[in-house]
Order: sequence, then C-alpha cells, then structure tokens
Amino acid sequence: MTDLATRATRGVATTEGRRRRHNGGGPRAGTIAAFVTPFFLPFVLFYLVPIGYALWQSLLVVRRTGGQYGTSYTTFGGLEQYTQVFQNTEFWGSIGRIGLFGIVQVPVMLFVALVMALLLDTPLLKLKAFFRISAFMPYAVPGVIAAIMWSYLYSPQISPVVDLLKGVGLQPDFLGPGAVLWSTANVSTWLWTGYNMLIMFSALQSIPQELYEAAKLDGASNWAIAWRIKVPIIAPSVVLTTVFSIIGTLQLYAEPAVLRQISSNISSTFTPNMLAYTVASGNNYQQAAAISVVIAVITFVLSFGFMRLTSKRAGL
Amino acid sequence: MSSTVTRIRVAAVAAAASIAVLAGCSSPAPSGDSASADACAPAKGKVTLQYWNTVPGMDEVVALWNKKNPNIQVETKNISNDQYGTIGNALKAGKAPDLAQVGYDELPNLRSQDAFADASACKAATDAKSAFVPWTWSQASFGGTGVFAIPQDTGPMALYVRSDIFKKHGLEIPKTWDEYATEAQKLHKADPNLSMTFFDPNNAEWFNGLLWQNSAEMYSYSGDKWHVAVESEQSKQVADYWQKLIDAKLVRTDLAHGSTQMYTAYQKDQIATYVGAAWGYSMFRDNLPKQAGKWSIVPMPTWGSSAASGDWGGSTVAFMKGGKHPYESVKFNTWLNTDPEALALENKLGGLYPAATAGLALPALSQGVAYYDNEKIFDVFAESSKNIDTEFTWGPTQKTVNLALQDAMAKATAGDGTVADALTAAQDAALKSMKDQAIPATAGK
Repeated sequence: MTDLATRATRGVATTEGRRRRHNGGGPRAGTIAAFVTPFFLPFVLFYLVPIGYALWQSLLVVRRTGGQYGTSYTTFGGLEQYTQVFQNTEFWGSIGRIGLFGIVQVPVMLFVALVMALLLDTPLLKLKAFFRISAFMPYAVPGVIAAIMWSYLYSPQISPVVDLLKGVGLQPDFLGPGAVLWSTANVSTWLWTGYNMLIMFSALQSIPQELYEAAKLDGASNWAIAWRIKVPIIAPSVVLTTVFSIIGTLQLYAEPAVLRQISSNISSTFTPNMLAYTVASGNNYQQAAAISVVIAVITFVLSFGFMRLTSKRAGL
Repeated sequence: MSSTVTRIRVAAVAAAASIAVLAGCSSPAPSGDSASADACAPAKGKVTLQYWNTVPGMDEVVALWNKKNPNIQVETKNISNDQYGTIGNALKAGKAPDLAQVGYDELPNLRSQDAFADASACKAATDAKSAFVPWTWSQASFGGTGVFAIPQDTGPMALYVRSDIFKKHGLEIPKTWDEYATEAQKLHKADPNLSMTFFDPNNAEWFNGLLWQNSAEMYSYSGDKWHVAVESEQSKQVADYWQKLIDAKLVRTDLAHGSTQMYTAYQKDQIATYVGAAWGYSMFRDNLPKQAGKWSIVPMPTWGSSAASGDWGGSTVAFMKGGKHPYESVKFNTWLNTDPEALALENKLGGLYPAATAGLALPALSQGVAYYDNEKIFDVFAESSKNIDTEFTWGPTQKTVNLALQDAMAKATAGDGTVADALTAAQDAALKSMKDQAIPATAGK
C-alpha cells in the first residue's frame, strides 16, 4: 500500500509540474475535453448514475395510504432495508451456497486452465492453433445457451449421458438436491476455462525464449521450466483470472436460472443475484437495491482483498 | 500504475454489474386510487391502440378487427417472454400500452402498484358485466363497481385421462380424490414404471387451482385489513393428500410443467393422467400428435360428494393507466372478449377458453374435438366452470407468495419438510411481503 501511495503521489506531482509549465493553455483544455468526453459521458450516464440511483433506492421504504389497495409512495427510511438484508436468512443462505461453489469451482477451473495453457506452450504439442481454438470455443457460446445445452445432458428423461451411465449400472441424478450445485459449477467451468486459459497463454507467449534457452543450458527439465519459470512469471495473470472468477461467482445468475427450469432443487433464491431479482419481481425494488449494494460491497472486499493478499507474492 | 487501474476497474465492473440490473426502476408516483371520472367520449379521427398480449395467434384476431374498424387500429405486441417484467418496466417508465393481458392472480398486485385505469365511465364497459362468468367479472372489478379489466379466458380444471392405459390395467375413472389415490396405487402396482400423474413443485399456479377447488380462500379483506389464511384447514387437506402420494412414490416429482421432459414422459406412456385446465387441450393436441384418440377428459375428482372445481390460469385484458382513449379501448376490449367470431378464432389458435358466458355456447365449443376421439370435451369444462367457487380472492403480493410456496414445495419433494410446511412458508411470505409493501395484513380468516 505504501508503495502504491508513493506512486500515486509521484503521479500527481508530475502532472502539476507539467501544468505549471503550460500556463494558460486554453485550447489544450478543449482538446482534453474532446478526448475525455466520449468516455466520461457514458461513464456518468451508465455507471455513476445507476450506482447513485441504486444507493438512493436502497435508503427508501414504501408507505401506503388507505383502502384495500391504497396508493403507495416511497419515503426515506435510513438503513431499514439494510437491516432487513442482514436479517434475511435467504440472503445468507445464498451467500453461503455461492461461497462453497466458489471455493471449489474457482481453483478447479483455474488449475485446469493453467495446465492447459502450459501444455499449449510446450514445443512438443502439434496442432496448437486447433487446440487453442477448441478450448476457447465454449466461451463463444452465450451462458444461457450453454446452460440450456447442459440441461439436456443432465435431464434424466432425455439425456444420452444419463442413458449411457445407466447402461453401466449407475444411477446419476445430476439435478438432485446434493448434486445440482456441482452440476451448475460444471457449466461455469466448461464456459470459462478456455477463456482463462487464453489469458494465461497470452502471458506465456510474452516470455522471451532466451530465458528457456538459459534454463536449458543450466540443465533444467521441461517440468522445472514450467514450474519454476513460467508459472511465477505469469502469476499476475493467474491473480487477474482469479479476481475475475471471484466476481463472476458472486454474480452467478444465468446458469442456475436456466437449470431452475428443469430442476426444482434450484430455489428462486439460489444465488444472491437470483434473490435480488426475485425480490425485485415482487415489486420490492428498494430491498432489491439494498441486496445489490451489499453484493457489490462483498464483491469489492473479496476481490480487492484477494489482490492485496497476493500482490506481494505475485510481484504486482 | 497498471495494477492500480486494474483494481479500480475490477471493483467498478463488479459494482456496476450488480447494480445495473436495477436501473430504470422507480417508485410509482402517488396518485388517487379512486375511480378516475374521465369522460368516455369517442376521439375525433383515427385512433391507434397498443395492446400487449401473450396469446399465440392474437395478431390474426387483431387483423380481423383492424379490417372491420379502420378508425380504431390496434397494434399488438407479444410479451410472452417475461410478461409482468415487461408490463412493470413499461409502467415505471410511463410507457404502458392502452391494454395489456393480465392473469387473474396478478390483478391485485398490479392494482396495488396503481397500474390500472377505471373504465367504468364508459357505459359499454359496465354493461359488459352480464356477459361474463360471475367470478371472472368479480376478480377483474375487485368485487366493486370499477371496471379495470375485461375477462378474457379461464382455466376451469378437469382430469385428462389416458383411456388406453386405464383400460389395459382395468382402472376406473375416479370420482373422488380418495378413489384417485386408490387407482394410482393399483396402477403403480401393475407396473412400477407407470405413474398416475406428476406433482410439479415449481408450479404454484397449479397447486393454487387445487386449493381453490377445496374452497381454501387464502385472502379476504375486512376492517381495513387483509386477512391471510394461506395456511388453512382446507389447504392443509390438499397438501397432506399430495404429500401421501409423493411419499408412496405414486406421483412423479421430477417433471416441470410444459417442459420437454414432461412431454417426453407422456410420449413414453409413463403417465396415465393430467390434472389440468381447459387451455391444456391444445397443448396436448399440438405436442403429442401421435396420442390422438387415446385421451379423454372427465371432471376432476372431488373432495366430497358435491361437485366442485378449481381454476388454473386464465387472463383478463386490463385497461392500463395512462391510456388516452377509454372509449375506443372499451370498444375493442369488449369485442375481443365477447364477439363470437373473435372468441372462436382465439379458441382455435390460442386454445383460449372464453370467460364470456355466451362463449361457452359457441358452435366451436359444442362440437366434438377430433384429437379427443370426437368427445365433446368443452361440455366438461363448461360444467367445471359452473362449479368454481366464486369467493376466491388473490393476494396483492401473489407472485412473492407463489415463489415462496414453490421453493418450499421443492424442498418437500426433495425430502426436506412437507407440502404442509410449504403452506406455512407461503403464509409467512404473504405477511412479510405485504408488510414490505405497507399493506395492512393479519394472519387468520
């Protein structure tokens, strides 16, 4: 952190120095504006405004005036919505479920991605372009479509996979109460492994070949090169993909929402985002806003926390 | 430097993605709940109405109207995909159509969101009352004198029976639920791969229809308060009954209604009956063409000796807040839901079973249906329609209650709790969601 702070201070100092030198740069301000506006306008409109709006909504409560149906209006309610979120067992249930999901799915997926990236990077492998594209292919499939596809493979009535397994005397229940979380994890893993692999593979490509030659001259085996040179160098990419995966896990929605169509073991509050959607669809927008804000904060804390934890080791 | 940027971006993306979902939602502006006394005068010149619906083939019905009424043109939009999300968003954005299809169970919810306009200033609207099955009109007018919607179709329930399977295993058509359970046992004993029906835990609407049949009136309003009795003796009786069938593995619990998996199970002759509604007739006809002639439709089993039926589904066409042409909207809406030619077309294309009493006597509905071995199946539904409890009322947070019921019924079928526990969960959800919406409510009748 101190390192970061110093860097930041240095940055500010340099800018100020430059500004002093170009005193009274009127046209320059215009130029800067011309370059910055295309970013800044959508950033404010589609990013800052919605966040501010959600924060504001989360502080409101619904009140109503008379009659059987009455007329509703909203008023400031302070932290009432947040108190409700923290007391909501469904909310903590969904967080716990997704925590379990992430602790298992993220390491498995990234390990597979890393192994695949390292394999692709070995000089031994032929048809590299083919393997690279095939591994990346699932990422080109939209999450919803992937989930629909897998739901056919899981479904006991129509799945050829289930038929095959039954043929050898197994009774798989991919959609059962104990298995459905892992069936969902499998869809996510299938979708994202190739994507993560590609990030790691790109990092591997940028390592200068001389390093390997030097290592070989020193008598290093392929295994040693992979483990002692390649992995440490691409560690920042691994950290990055982990952070993306943590965020992705906390925002899990499409896959379980699709599988829910065929498995009653996925409740309407299965993941935090599904809970937020369910609450919003019951017209409780203020509560849904509070849930979203809490999810965002948890995501922020976890991803930022993970980066801090690993930044020193990964040499970031 | 780059890592700082990454960190900020990562957090930003995270925050934006979870919050963006909520963009566009806003609180409804306070306004009068009372009937708006807008005059009901015809517009000068040509009018174009927006009508959102979920019925297959509705564009053809509207084309018929447009041909006959050059001055009142109607534009349709199919909103089958996320019907209430679409309507809700349009309302919040102030861009609701003139008319929209709304199911009976969603009416109180949308009413409490101030979604509807009262068309009772138009004489044609109030006059239409006598044309409809009483309970449908009562639900669309919220038991009062306002006209917020015109009933379109209903889903009187009945029992669909695979006659060939029944014959093969020597089963008798069950008249009561007890007999139904006995036959289910016989069938399962004859062949363990056969089930009498399926219990879809993810289908609260269907289950509510069963509760309705047993006069389990879940909501009432008196003394400035809603009274919530989702968990009543009548509903517990229904829940315990299905629990027994589930425990004895006499019904399947792994099929979602309307899914490929469900049709596959029927296709493979694994299930002998279907506890369904009138609109289901076209569903089987269209999805299982090879089973033509094997199905027949009989009254649904009853709890006691007297005839009683439930309703599952059905819709109204509601007058949405902000519609500028009440006169024309009423004209089109009443035509759409009472005109014999329109009703016949809707029945044929969309499988709608009309809410208009005259519709029940339509020639198309008094003939035999080829798929059902030329049986006059609509006679069964007409009889069912007459036996539906007219007092049944939906709650103002029905969607939330239904989701809670479904989540808990799913747990029950997975062996965690019972269907009766699901009623408790639904009761709690009803009270809590009404509290969240500041709707005064209390437990009990």
